[in-house]
Amino acid sequence: MSLSSRMIIVLTTVGLISGGFLAGVAQLTKERVALNIQKEIEEAIVEVVPGTTQNQKLHQEEDFTIFSGQDESGNTTGYAVQATGIGFQDKITLMFGINDSLQKITGLTIIDQKETPGLGAKITDWNAFLQFWENRDASGQLTLRKPPAGSLEELSTSEINTITGATISSQKVLEIVNLSLEKLKKIISEGKIAGERQDVN
Amino acid sequence: MSTKSIGAEYLKGFWDENPVFRQLLGMCPTLAVTGTVITGLAMGLATTFVLIFSSLVVSSIKRLIPAQVRIASYIVVIASFVTIADQFLKAYFYPISKAMGPYVPLIVVNCIILGRQEAFASKNSVGRSFIDALGMSSGFILALLVLSTIREILGAGTFLGYQVMGAWFKPWTIMILPAGAFLTLGVLLGIALVIERKTMRS
Repeated sequence: MSLSSRMIIVLTTVGLISGGFLAGVAQLTKERVALNIQKEIEEAIVEVVPGTTQNQKLHQEEDFTIFSGQDESGNTTGYAVQATGIGFQDKITLMFGINDSLQKITGLTIIDQKETPGLGAKITDWNAFLQFWENRDASGQLTLRKPPAGSLEELSTSEINTITGATISSQKVLEIVNLSLEKLKKIISEGKIAGERQDVN
Repeated sequence: MSTKSIGAEYLKGFWDENPVFRQLLGMCPTLAVTGTVITGLAMGLATTFVLIFSSLVVSSIKRLIPAQVRIASYIVVIASFVTIADQFLKAYFYPISKAMGPYVPLIVVNCIILGRQEAFASKNSVGRSFIDALGMSSGFILALLVLSTIREILGAGTFLGYQVMGAWFKPWTIMILPAGAFLTLGVLLGIALVIERKTMRS
């Protein structure tokens, strides 16, 4: 057998075997991976909309998803918005909760971020950042408080404390939320929400 | 063909040929994922898995592969095991997989792995290649653990997430930033060189 045909046969065989093997592995793990991602989103909804036990996906577009939350007896607890926007280094994906009259942000959590460890990554820290997002006034735009106020009580209800040393990361999160708020209000006021019901426990 | 004793074959990965401190291979994961001990350890274990299985496969099919396409074949074998490791982490250790980001798929280009195939597994028996891979992985894990322990304790005051430094301690943020990785690695390489010179003289 000539050298070139041997080379072709060996490489093709190696490629085919490894491809087949990987297809099998992907099949085996596919369900669990999808489950992990779904579980993460569900936990985030429960975190930002207090009292939620079930949720429905109401609306979905690129980098923007609206869920509604219900408690055990089926009463609406509020909406959860998952949004992705540009951060300081890479995209930030976050989720925030808002009550059903769209007046009050009930909480915020960061799903995915690649901000600077130790500085911008503090947007995932409860004490440094997330605690300021509970019970914020959502009727207008939220603003950043810089330099940060010493305690939660000193902040007005439409203010968020800036993280010291990570102004841009704080600013970017705020921009994503303000933009999403506008979008959410527009979609709801136009009555566009009629997405497929997707009950999940 | 290597003629070392089995014990020496394993132990060489720890010091004489330690992939990080002596061969300076695999610098990218060494610097990138050693900010916390848990990600350093996960990277070490994932690399161990890929290195051992690639060495086993390469050493058993070495006679079938024409020399001209050996690198391409090794890379396909390595990439397959890396993908398996990546899928496994995503399915069963999702938070760790997220913390390591793109660095799991990047094990494919870790020179320790291709280097061992070319320098060892393609010339030695399956058994010896296994011992060699085990030794090299142990040396790599050791290096990652030393680096990540120093960086996590100084940079966050914690070890494996548990607070080990008192309230007086102010974390050195630079240690968990990329610059801290370079500083720590540089100091450790310096220490390794001093030890090397001292032992050569005696």
